[in-house]
Amino acid sequence: MAKLLFEWDYSSYPGAKAYPHLFKPIQIGNLTVPNRIKYAATEDNLNDHNGFITDADVEYMRLRAEGVVGGLCFMQGVYMDPARKGQGYVGQAAAWDDKYIPGLKKIADAIHGEKAIAGYQLMDCGRVGAVEVESGHAPSTVPQRLRVFKPMFEMTNAEIKEMVQQHVDAAKRGIEAGFDVIEISGIVGYLISNFLSSYTNRRTDEYGGDIRGRSQSMIEIIQGVKEVCGPDIPVGIRLCSDELLSDVRGNTPEESMQTYQFAEEAGADYISCTLGWQESIFPVISRDIPQGNWLFLAKRAKEHVNIPIQMAYRLFTPDKPNKAIGDGELDIWEMCRSMIADPLMPKKVLEGREDEVRHCVACNLCLARLFRDAPMTCYINPRCAHEHDETFYPKSVEEDDRKEVMIVGAGPAGLECAYVSAQRGHEVHVYDKRDELGGTILEASQAPYGDEELMTCTNYQKVMCEQAGVHFHLGTEVTEELIQDELPDTVVLATGPVYAKVPGPGGDRDNVVNVLDVLGGKAEVGEKVVVWGNRKPGIGVALFLAKQGKKVTLVGKDKSAGFDVNPSFKWRYMIYLRQNGIMAYNDCNIEEINDDGITVKTYDGYHFPVACDTIVVSEREANESLKKAVQGEGIELFVIGDALVPRNLSSAVHDGYRIGLRI
Amino acid sequence: MPVNAEKEIGKLWRNLHGAQAEICRTYYRWREVALAVAGPDAKPLDIAMKAAEIMGNDIGKSILPRLNWLKGEEAFMMSLGKLLAGLWVTEGGIAFAEKGEKPGEVMIRCTRDPWPSVAKTYGVPMEEVALAREKLYQSMLKDVSVFFNIPLNIEMLKAIPRGEGEYLFRLYKEN
Repeated sequence: MAKLLFEWDYSSYPGAKAYPHLFKPIQIGNLTVPNRIKYAATEDNLNDHNGFITDADVEYMRLRAEGVVGGLCFMQGVYMDPARKGQGYVGQAAAWDDKYIPGLKKIADAIHGEKAIAGYQLMDCGRVGAVEVESGHAPSTVPQRLRVFKPMFEMTNAEIKEMVQQHVDAAKRGIEAGFDVIEISGIVGYLISNFLSSYTNRRTDEYGGDIRGRSQSMIEIIQGVKEVCGPDIPVGIRLCSDELLSDVRGNTPEESMQTYQFAEEAGADYISCTLGWQESIFPVISRDIPQGNWLFLAKRAKEHVNIPIQMAYRLFTPDKPNKAIGDGELDIWEMCRSMIADPLMPKKVLEGREDEVRHCVACNLCLARLFRDAPMTCYINPRCAHEHDETFYPKSVEEDDRKEVMIVGAGPAGLECAYVSAQRGHEVHVYDKRDELGGTILEASQAPYGDEELMTCTNYQKVMCEQAGVHFHLGTEVTEELIQDELPDTVVLATGPVYAKVPGPGGDRDNVVNVLDVLGGKAEVGEKVVVWGNRKPGIGVALFLAKQGKKVTLVGKDKSAGFDVNPSFKWRYMIYLRQNGIMAYNDCNIEEINDDGITVKTYDGYHFPVACDTIVVSEREANESLKKAVQGEGIELFVIGDALVPRNLSSAVHDGYRIGLRI
Repeated sequence: MPVNAEKEIGKLWRNLHGAQAEICRTYYRWREVALAVAGPDAKPLDIAMKAAEIMGNDIGKSILPRLNWLKGEEAFMMSLGKLLAGLWVTEGGIAFAEKGEKPGEVMIRCTRDPWPSVAKTYGVPMEEVALAREKLYQSMLKDVSVFFNIPLNIEMLKAIPRGEGEYLFRLYKEN
């Protein structure tokens, strides 16, 4: 009979009725998992740089364990070699010695404290490892395509056998620490995937050659780990179902499916189905990829093996995985980024509070930070990676300290600030001259390539504001007189930016229009368009117009377009600009607007004309309006979001949250 | 004020060609530095070959992200040939890649090269100029060959510094 660690009864919960397939049990190995939910192992760079677990990481994991409501909760992958060649992240947990067991135990205990199943992952980062040393290890010496990664050198046969043993020893430590499931990471360019791939494995010995030979190290690892786990601790593996490396002569999808079969034959109790490598040139998880796009790979995997298949990868809402599980195309719904954005996401789904979910916007800032040796951050969740820090939670104010707060602007900064300060007990009034909530997100979400998902931020904030008792005054423009009449204790200016005037002659012509009017369908735009401003708003409107068949040129002062977009997403925009025939003149300004178009001036003084019939302004400046009026009344004042410094959605949300805690 | 195209292009043209000439001059200045540091027993050709090897390796690494195998071997070889020719163009040469007679073979032709005339002003033997170019290209291919698991080679058939009127290189896959 299969082992059950914790009893869970979901029958009375609305989410179990709405998504019945997500909340039914499944057996992996000899373990019964009460539901189909898994927080998949994700690095967070929160640990000590010597591999010891920190309180920050324990609390980060505890909250995710609460979120999976009895499901699987995996800690980040541990590196296993004292030489640190397998370490891919500066804050990665280690397990190459028994001295790490007490820290690992804290995580297992924290997960168990939430009645969830504690998962532990073995992860030698291989080709993307050696973050703290000069060079790494690999099946073969294949040069790096990206200079950011360290050189890799071929492992000897003896070193491979030692690496296999390191996996086994690290698995033992995980078991001793109290973990219930052991997982082996073989994805995205990490060591096992390096062995599997024809791109990185050129060996001709027992660990190379055809796909069977290239799978040998994986097979030995699974068999070795299975042996120490015994019958009661399931062993799983994460494997690429498609490497997306055809440009560098990587494995075919058929070969990838063979690796799944070898893993099953070696004793794996489940497979987590992934795709793509960090160095793949194809997008996999960014916002421009539709939700559920990759479910066909899980289905294909299930056609090749008989063990449970798990998958994450653009499955941010419960409907698609619920259906896929019901249709027999998937067994377990994995989450990484969606539970970084909202650690309690599945719990809210179960409790019928789906509208309270703060959805990931697939910007990949979290990944960009990890790859640059910075601690985890979420674009949309200001509390992420600060779960252990009490100062990041709203604290109720004493009755005498309750204030009347006027927030000017119902965009992402204003709404975030509104619900946080209202949760603390303040009386909060949000004013906006528009009749709708969302501020500039209303227009920004009109841009192509998935930007409609940005509205999920506003939807979440609206619900939180309503629950916190925030008063809305929509269609009301705040004036000096209104401030004087209301005389609130605190004013928060979240008015958004002002749009810059085009410098030089012609800036006031009729064919100069505003980005918001264009995206909102309120401005007439000709066939040849210059967009002034090469940050995200400029890129968004340029792509929006190019999709309508217009000839678009981007002119901006930043050295490269998308300066404000994180590198893990920016590359997508650069490709889309090229694909849509948009020429970008960066490090440039508009010198004048004339009858034929504009004159561009480069940073070093060259001039050239660009023909156009419409100029769209997306350059922004801080908004100084109302500041003096508020200061003149001696009212406590905060300026947040783009009104303070024009930046991005993330800065607006984080500003709003922090000031909401401070008022 | 309308743009004065002649003035703008003239300024840009002068600055571009000035920068291209500086590339060659900077290389030969560094050659003199290396010779001075290496001492009187050093052979200039050895130093030039080592420099071509180091620089070629590094340039080879930088072109890896710009190559891919998606369109097959012929397209891959032509795109590599164009990158090699393009390097020469950025230095002020006139160079292009064209299909060779055999499958997958690409010819790189350079009909104007700024290097020999600058080399002369520094007293560099013409044969060294030719051999350094060949070594540079061979070294560029080293990482490309390993990365794509294809044995690539390039050979110099003609060289301007040898008085042959043009450079001609044959880029091919070894059997």
